[in-house]
Amino acid sequence: MRRIDRSQLEQLCHLAQRDGRTLIGPTVRDGAIALAPITTAADLPVGWTDVQAPGRYRLSRTQGQRAFDFVVGPNSAKEQFFKPREPLYRAERRADGRVGFVAIVPEPEKRALLGVRACDLAAIAVQDAVFVEGAMRDPRYASRRADTLVIAVHCTRAGSLCFCASMGTGPKVNSGADLALAEREHDLLIEALTPAGEALLAQLSSEEASGEDLRWLDESVESARASMGRHVDTRAVHERLFAQLEHPRWKEVADRCLSCGNCTSVCPTCFCSTTEDRSDLDGSTAERDRLWESCFSREHSELHGHAVRGSTEQRYRQWLTHKLGAWVSQFGASGCVGCGRCIAWCPAGIDLTEELAALSTSDARALMPVAAPCAEEGRDEAMVPSPARVLSVTRESSDVVTLALAIDEPRPFAPGQFYQLSIPGIGEAPISVSGRDGAGVEHTIRAVGSLTRALCELSPGSELGVRGPYGRGWPMRELAGAPVVVVAGGIGLAPLREALRQMLADPQQYPDVRLFYGARTPEDLLYAREMLGWTDRRGFQLSITVDRSSPTWRGNVGVVTRLLKRSTVPDAARAILCGPEVMMRFTIQALARLGVTHDRIWLTMERHMKCATGHCGRCQFGPYFVCKDGPVFRYDEVASLFGRDGI
Amino acid sequence: MGVFKLASCDGCQLTLLGCEDELLALAERVEIAHFPEASSRLDPHGTFDLVLVEGSVSAPFQRDELLSIRARAKKLVTIGACATSGGVQALRNGRDVKGFIASVYATPEYISTLDDSTPVSAHVPVDYELRGCPIDKRQLIEVLTALLVGRRPNIRDESVCMECKRQGNMCVLVTRDEPCLGPVTHAGCGALCPSFDRGCYGCFGPKEQAKTSALAARFQRDGMVPVELVRRFRGITAGAEAFKKEGERHE
Amino acid sequence: MSERTFSVDLMTRVEGEGRFSLTVRDGKVIDASLAIFEAPRFFEAFLQGRSTHDVCDIVARICGICPIAYQMSAARALESALGLRTTPEIEQVRRLIYCGEWIESHALHVFMLHAPDFLGYESAIEMARDHKPLVERGLRLKKWGNRLIEVIGGRPSHPVSPRVGGFSRAPSKAALLAIRDDLARGVEESIETARWAATLPMPDLSCDYVFAAITGTSDYPLEFGTHIAVSGRGEWPVEQWGDVMVERHVRHSNALQATLADGTPYLCGPQARLHHHRDKLNPVARQLADELSLPATVDNPYRSIVVRAVELTHAFAEALAIVDRYERPEQAYVEGAMRAGVGYGATEAPRGLLWHRYELSADGTVAKATIVPPTSQNQARIEADLVALGPSLIAMEHKAATVRAEQLIRSYDPCISCATHFLELEINREDVP
Ligand SMILES: Cc1cc2nc3c(=O)[nH]c(=O)nc-3n(C[C@H](O)[C@H](O)[C@H](O)COP(=O)(O)OP(=O)(O)OC[C@H]3O[C@@H](n4cnc5c(N)ncnc54)[C@H](O)[C@@H]3O)c2cc1C
Ligand code: SF4
Ligand code: SF4
Ligand code: SF4
Ligand code: FES
Repeated sequence: MRRIDRSQLEQLCHLAQRDGRTLIGPTVRDGAIALAPITTAADLPVGWTDVQAPGRYRLSRTQGQRAFDFVVGPNSAKEQFFKPREPLYRAERRADGRVGFVAIVPEPEKRALLGVRACDLAAIAVQDAVFVEGAMRDPRYASRRADTLVIAVHCTRAGSLCFCASMGTGPKVNSGADLALAEREHDLLIEALTPAGEALLAQLSSEEASGEDLRWLDESVESARASMGRHVDTRAVHERLFAQLEHPRWKEVADRCLSCGNCTSVCPTCFCSTTEDRSDLDGSTAERDRLWESCFSREHSELHGHAVRGSTEQRYRQWLTHKLGAWVSQFGASGCVGCGRCIAWCPAGIDLTEELAALSTSDARALMPVAAPCAEEGRDEAMVPSPARVLSVTRESSDVVTLALAIDEPRPFAPGQFYQLSIPGIGEAPISVSGRDGAGVEHTIRAVGSLTRALCELSPGSELGVRGPYGRGWPMRELAGAPVVVVAGGIGLAPLREALRQMLADPQQYPDVRLFYGARTPEDLLYAREMLGWTDRRGFQLSITVDRSSPTWRGNVGVVTRLLKRSTVPDAARAILCGPEVMMRFTIQALARLGVTHDRIWLTMERHMKCATGHCGRCQFGPYFVCKDGPVFRYDEVASLFGRDGI
Repeated sequence: MGVFKLASCDGCQLTLLGCEDELLALAERVEIAHFPEASSRLDPHGTFDLVLVEGSVSAPFQRDELLSIRARAKKLVTIGACATSGGVQALRNGRDVKGFIASVYATPEYISTLDDSTPVSAHVPVDYELRGCPIDKRQLIEVLTALLVGRRPNIRDESVCMECKRQGNMCVLVTRDEPCLGPVTHAGCGALCPSFDRGCYGCFGPKEQAKTSALAARFQRDGMVPVELVRRFRGITAGAEAFKKEGERHE
Repeated sequence: MSERTFSVDLMTRVEGEGRFSLTVRDGKVIDASLAIFEAPRFFEAFLQGRSTHDVCDIVARICGICPIAYQMSAARALESALGLRTTPEIEQVRRLIYCGEWIESHALHVFMLHAPDFLGYESAIEMARDHKPLVERGLRLKKWGNRLIEVIGGRPSHPVSPRVGGFSRAPSKAALLAIRDDLARGVEESIETARWAATLPMPDLSCDYVFAAITGTSDYPLEFGTHIAVSGRGEWPVEQWGDVMVERHVRHSNALQATLADGTPYLCGPQARLHHHRDKLNPVARQLADELSLPATVDNPYRSIVVRAVELTHAFAEALAIVDRYERPEQAYVEGAMRAGVGYGATEAPRGLLWHRYELSADGTVAKATIVPPTSQNQARIEADLVALGPSLIAMEHKAATVRAEQLIRSYDPCISCATHFLELEINREDVP
């Protein structure tokens, strides 16, 4: 630990900008302390402090000359690395006439962050876990983040909204920084935590800190810890929260919540994003942007034209249960670092610590999964499609077609996995693999919206973009050796077809396979000819039903669960399901009655997806990301949430 | 494409002429068959793939015209606060308009007007709404481009706050108690007002789930008196349901 | 007996919806009317009871083409009612944003609305097929005007920063410098525009105008004036304008018409400004006027396209000069206590004189508002011109004659949306004690 004179701050700012490094530090702007590029110590908020309360932030003059005499402003390191809006790729016609997708990834950037607090260091670590340490790396975040010099500041005074002590993230800086400062009126204590920090410190004129200095630091930090303006009880909070999904407090807070999304925007850890496809008027180029999204907006939970979380109550519940609950399952740490920003910058002054306390009326706990395994490991995922070409188009019904695609540099896929298919300028959507046709990967698509309609209109030779495969597929290994019941509704047969084909091709492993399939009308039955062919195979049983009959239809009419109720299933049978949520719910009940327990049922969840890599938050389902933890789940993993409104 | 006007200030159709960089390219892709403000070539009775309708229904002849336009338009997009919420002229709604016209004019039959100024969607189905007083140029281009290529337009029904924060503005409400309707207002303007140091006055109308009562409660805590609360919500988009109701609550 | 009627039911390339009709019998005009059927919008009524600070946002909505004119006239009138005095720095920003509006509006009119008449096209878009560089120049000039407004006010229509006392935020110098070169090019290109406009074939018509424009400063009138000058009649303080002109409701129109008290129609707008203030044009624009031998008194309304082009140069040159000496004002607006009072404000909208009067209650809310926009003032004059034009149409083929008459009306750049906010004025007077 060393001591430097206040005048050394100028030198520190200077050194931090060497080699073309951009220095980002606190500075007064428009009535608050912002984080922005600065060049000299004179830009720092010398003699300013902040006074915060729920929904309120004011700057106030101090008598002193400290530059770090405030706690946190609305900005955090988040916007340095995870940009509020940035382009992902550009699609254009290449010289050879084919469609090309060009990733837009920033050149590695050199940055120094000055004045970072312990809570924000923890927040950076949380975002690193999301964007670079997970199975998929976001190269944009990574290239901005990689070369960052961090000069942190120990908090020697706590703000009225701070609760880092509760969250175990502060007030003392322990790691995550190159240098740590502690500021007094005339001088600063400084400590290097990394070799880079040491090198920098060596160029400042400093002296060894005295014992008294060290004592001052310990005492100040301790007094900050003791005077936190807020407090939360974090014991098993993620399990307690998920046990309170029906608590009346959610409704009560929803009466005060504006659903404006300010809390998520200022939160240093919130990472949800959405995408926008743009194109120019003549359609010659198209781009895709990524931008900050919030779980408080309608679009974030949209599925099939309606919002899964339509009410503010459901959105607030999503936010709090994710932040303090699901995060723990997803990333092994809380999503809240106790900075208090969401309290100050909430126009309605909603205080999450107060809400949490009100929700903690019981000690009930919900069993929470630990971070789920992921299909892939350490892949750089730039969210850029590869070009693909349509080999053949098979019309399955009036609104469903199967496309066989030739994909540039394909990766192997497993049944139940999905690809993100895109058409430049129109959009992108997750579509399951429905099979393999020679060199082609098959997708069966139902035209429901703009993109699926455009996909269904492609013809052989058309070009599109694909990314993938993604997700956890059907548990082919667990199914082996046991009788398998397959239940499909409508387009839900598509993700099952490749699994069926593989099982039927291997009677040794899968001796007994029974398919129960329901469609709206006889005309909507998919793969009718292929299914007929399967019936020749020994040990395969096929039961088909339709919701609405037609004059020539001689088969069953009614829902698929009716078929199930009329049959028996062998002991130890396993079941795999895909179809609308209601259908799956009734099927699970029927299967339970037939003796198929929850741990022997697998199903696919549907949530809308933007990234498919666990980065955008769009597909969240309780503690899971459907894109990487699913889409196939064993039912007991999701039983407590499945079919519940607004999850 | 056709551009039609009901009761309005022309600002929204002017936004189309204000697309200086795109106008000629657009004209190459789209035949602009009826646009009286810009062209003497008219086709008022033609059929259209796309019709942009500006303005609110404030007079009986406008209602009839609208029904006829709808019947001839494959897609009808309303542009601006007038067309989507009745506009600033909806401030007259609830007043005895006929009464005062009769008391003033010797020949009141020469003045034809309806009691209320109502949005287009109150009379005919609308395929797409573009909010704002006036509409935002980028949003207009986006809708036109999206319809041309067949994508769903990127028009986000989120709060102005979302745009404001993405832009890195400081919140005027939290830092200065400046009454700002941003938290309950539909995004699209690029958070203009806060970027110019003032509170949003709601010209894009309410967003979905607009919890106006919670915002009014905040304004009240900051000392706003009821008559001022009424004025806040009864502004440029006074005819929009959420704002109208909130205004009435404080009357 | 021969009788012919020339009429257009939906006038095009004007702002708002109007029709005109001209009937000539035996060589004499027996009826000429410019009918405004755009639905009335009752602005003055909803201004009652609004706070002073709401007024600029509301009146902007009267017109999407010249909202700044409304905001500036209103701010002036309210400041005078409240006894507020802005700073010279704030006034500079006002002139700057007003220049932007002149540029945007004049470029729109010259290139998109008026030019197709002279070159024989139905629209600028159609004209672009044969005259692409010309139309592109128009779009460019218009864009630079819009950019200027955006930098100061956020958006071209209904900008958000103008307020009573000044602006909610003054533009940074850097933001203005970023568009400086565009303004400089604007000066050049607008000069070219005027030269081109001067070569256009002008139909013959000479009118005996009474011109009205604001005056009282040493500058070409724009955002401020203390008096209103009427050619051949004299000058009156802005406060007295309401007594000098009278407004009446004509049967064929949803708008009021203004004339001088003795019933004489008068003209405001570019020709009127030039008539009174040619010598005060920015030197660049004055030199241009000299070069084109443009006299102070332009009595041929078709030639207004040249006057507008010269004003375009004036606006670009003024804006450039202001940007070059700009320092961001310390204070973007001034504030004062609310009080009861009456205030008047007049500024020069692109189309002409725009006069506002407000009566405020003690709490600063509007007790009564009166707004007299340029088109209402020009409407009687336009009808008189139609009468003057009538005889010359007899010899023409019907379609061409109709087009000629429409072109005449278009020369005045009438803004019908503005005119129809009016109706309520009458109602107000009966309704409000
Ligand atoms: C893991 C996974 C696998 C999938 N596999 C398949 C598959 O194999 N085959 C398949 O066909 N689908 C599959 N889906 C579903 C598919 O992803 C969606 O149908 C697709 O995303 C729809 O995209 P779109 O752009 O066509 O529709 P969108 O335009 O997003 O619209 C979707 C729905 O919203 C409605 N809608 C559109 N615009 C609006 C609006 N403005 N307001 C209200 N409603 C609107 C549409 O009518 C439609 O019902 C899968 C989904 C997931 C998550
Ligand atoms: S949830 Fe609130 S207190 Fe926690 S890290 Fe986010 S902004 Fe800070
Ligand atoms: S908690 Fe507050 S900041 Fe968050 S959405 Fe609700 S009102 Fe907005
Ligand atoms: S901030 Fe609000 S009032 Fe201002 S332009 Fe945007 S939507 Fe309109
Ligand atoms: S996290 Fe983005 S789709 Fe799953």
